[in-house]
Amino acid sequence: MNPPRTASGMNAVPLRALAVLAGLMALFAIPKLTGNDYLLALGVSFAALSVLSGGLNLVYGYTGLLSFAQVGFFGIGSYTAALLVTERDWSLWAGVAAGGGLATVVGLVIGYSSLRLSRHAFAIVSLSFALLCMIVARDWVSLTRGAMGIPGLPTPTLSLPGGIRWRIAQPADFYYLLLGFVVFAHAVIYLVVTSRLGRAMRAIKLNEPLAQSHGINPLAYKLLAIALSALLAGMVGGLFVFYLTIVDPSIFDFYYTETMLIMVIIGGPGSFWGVLLSSAVLTALPDLLRFTTDLRMVLYGAVLIAAMLLCPGGLGGWLHRRRVARWRQPRPAPRS
Amino acid sequence: MTTARPLLEVRGLTKRYLGLTAVDSLSYELGTGSMVGLIGPNGSGKSTSIDCISGFQPADGGRWFLDGREMTGLAPHRIARAGLTRTFQTVRAYDELTLLANLCVASQESDGVGWMQSLFRGQPLRSADAAAQTRGLELLATVGLADYADAPAAILSYGQRKLLAIAASMMARPRLVVLDEPVAGVNPTMVRHIEEVIQKLNAQGVALLIVEHNVDFIMSLCRRVIVLESGCKIADGPPGLIRSDPRVLAAYLGKARAAELDSRSG
Repeated sequence: MNPPRTASGMNAVPLRALAVLAGLMALFAIPKLTGNDYLLALGVSFAALSVLSGGLNLVYGYTGLLSFAQVGFFGIGSYTAALLVTERDWSLWAGVAAGGGLATVVGLVIGYSSLRLSRHAFAIVSLSFALLCMIVARDWVSLTRGAMGIPGLPTPTLSLPGGIRWRIAQPADFYYLLLGFVVFAHAVIYLVVTSRLGRAMRAIKLNEPLAQSHGINPLAYKLLAIALSALLAGMVGGLFVFYLTIVDPSIFDFYYTETMLIMVIIGGPGSFWGVLLSSAVLTALPDLLRFTTDLRMVLYGAVLIAAMLLCPGGLGGWLHRRRVARWRQPRPAPRS
Repeated sequence: MTTARPLLEVRGLTKRYLGLTAVDSLSYELGTGSMVGLIGPNGSGKSTSIDCISGFQPADGGRWFLDGREMTGLAPHRIARAGLTRTFQTVRAYDELTLLANLCVASQESDGVGWMQSLFRGQPLRSADAAAQTRGLELLATVGLADYADAPAAILSYGQRKLLAIAASMMARPRLVVLDEPVAGVNPTMVRHIEEVIQKLNAQGVALLIVEHNVDFIMSLCRRVIVLESGCKIADGPPGLIRSDPRVLAAYLGKARAAELDSRSG
């Protein structure tokens, strides 16, 4: 009898499950253990950035499509939720769902129209889209109120099952809300990347013509990855702005794009845990480097170049190379 | 041809590049389970013609049918799902995936398990995955790579990659597999091994169309050989006849040398 195999190339490690469980318990316990608002603010940033980088990892790391559009989806979700809640009195749930939905539709439109050309066309279109979003947010004043943005977003109240109404006023409330969404978003991404949908996406990234010759329709999987990342980015945007209490065109800032790209590249494109880990580290790091606010992006750039030179493929790539090296050692191949 | 309907029927396939006609109204038929070689000098249109019938290049004219179903103009993945798969001249593998995953990915689109079932991992997925693993291990055993089932494809040598690619092209139980230069650049021992693998797979009932530069390899393996020159079919028959066909000799050796050989033997 052969040892159990996983054709997706991932091994189920119970140790990892325990580590995740312990990590989650620690994260959810933080507000109880400390009243430190600063730590909670970091947690909220981590939530937003890790969902963005997780989605980018799905699109770029797994499917091989360089995308600058994530920040556009993030901002579209933010504006949609903010406008629907303030102007139309929608509930937060509905506003966030609508934001995610609109981002998904936009993602499918730009994906479908540009991917029929090439993946380079998609990269360019996604960049233009992100820049266009900011211009629209700034100049379509009658809808978005221009550069001033929409300040003073109300304290949202969530209706939970069982008739409980949860007023999200304290930083700890936002922390729980965003952390809950992070768990949901990463669970969805994990479910996809460890399924054979994720395997097909990796196949497309690794060798698209070969994947086609195996009956895989690249366009369908690329659109799936884009739609899912847009949905999650839009939704987390919708939640995040109520924490900020304001949405303005800076929600489309290139800073977000840069940050999530660095997170994916350092974590290792196509490595779920690597990117999750690098998202956590790189959220905490800039705040540890606060004494060098002006130098922060320079430091990021230096780290990025160092990663490219010393460890191409990031954390995940390093692990992969170790695995290859182990198999190349001249001895009878281990079977487990 | 014993069956009434050929497995593959190509009618008037034409492909032009800016005034150069790479494939010029090429027509041929293949029977179920047959093994046919497609040879010709460099630039004779071998690779272009199979790129067209497998959907990787749009054709400028002609129609082709697999088992009576029209494949003309379909996308590559649709042609593959219909039962016509291929390997590539530049050897391709998913380096980061294990050998077994390389194979399993090649049949996942043809086992009828949908996206939702894949995501939530119900019984249909589990039985389809189990079947794919069994078939994958069988094929790895056939090509002699079973010991490395769990290793990433990146560790394979050039010849081993060719074997992996051949195994992957068989995963979804296609009717016809087009092998694009299966032994180009491979050492002689490996050539013999690949030859055995191809014979074994053909014996299991899959039809093979083999494009090769290595004429001896094709002549010893195939009972029927099609010869192309400048995009046209110049000969089609058993290796014995092909070897002595004056047009084939002229195409391969040049007209003067062929005439010289001809006068010497005559």
